[in-house]
Amino acid sequence: MSARTSVGHDEIMAEAERIKALGEASESQAPYPVNQPTIGTWLDAMGYDNERFRSGEAPPSMAQVWTMPGLGRKRPPEDPLSRMTEFLTAAGYTAVLGTNCEQSYERYLRVGEELRVTSALDSVVGPKRTAMGEGYFVTSRNTWYVDHPDGRSEAVATMLFRVLKFVPRETP
Amino acid sequence: MRTLTVGEQLPEWSLPMTPTTIVSTAIATRDWQDVHHDRDVAQASGSKDIFLNILTSNGLVERYVVDWLGHDAELKGIAIRLGAPAHPYDTLTFRGTVESVEDGVATISVVGSVSLGDHVAGTVRVVA
Repeated sequence: MSARTSVGHDEIMAEAERIKALGEASESQAPYPVNQPTIGTWLDAMGYDNERFRSGEAPPSMAQVWTMPGLGRKRPPEDPLSRMTEFLTAAGYTAVLGTNCEQSYERYLRVGEELRVTSALDSVVGPKRTAMGEGYFVTSRNTWYVDHPDGRSEAVATMLFRVLKFVPRETP
Repeated sequence: MRTLTVGEQLPEWSLPMTPTTIVSTAIATRDWQDVHHDRDVAQASGSKDIFLNILTSNGLVERYVVDWLGHDAELKGIAIRLGAPAHPYDTLTFRGTVESVEDGVATISVVGSVSLGDHVAGTVRVVA
């Protein structure tokens, strides 16, 4: 626990409440529309073939793929998950491990659609003793939207993503 | 899509993990984190080798279930718990069971395991 600073549990939970209250505090636009070459490359890499994904629809678990920042690009600095994990890093919980990923799909996306994703802090739970060390479970919530010409924003997919931010055990 | 019976088991599916599997799927999911394609960086950060990224774990779960269900299956969601890393030269083996069919939605449990233990464990929801 030598890495721990003077930042305590109350301050961590206060920061969590502050960031949660910001709601969908950051958003980013997919750099490229849903497109067939990217779907085809994904199918090839997965060793998967499915005719509907060669004819205009996108595999549902690709929702997150469209809004990955891309090489050399960063997520927006106001991203709530980044803010919370950076706060925990500064508090001594330096290590990170993804623990859960829960995606829900409203419908399958179609080639040509432009996606937008928002990010919110869903919950912070801890401190917990785990096999990895003591830490906090931080859950973020992403929502993917397609914006329509009539001004309607349609939520097409959501994801709860949980990481453990922990103090790594001392290694001899 | 096939008709589902609670308790029915999906056929086991094993996928050899190679550096190409791990690198190609990381790039195809637009995930440029260096631990998924650069062994030196992965080892320097405490891993044995590069490892499969989470977007690919999701993609392989999707493929496993839909290849069995039929390609017209409509997925409603994938919820996974992340466990042991999948490294090159290991084998990722999927198993699944139809857990329930209720209110027009079937829940299929899926476990993908490697030599170190469960890589992913979770459920897929599909319109039934």
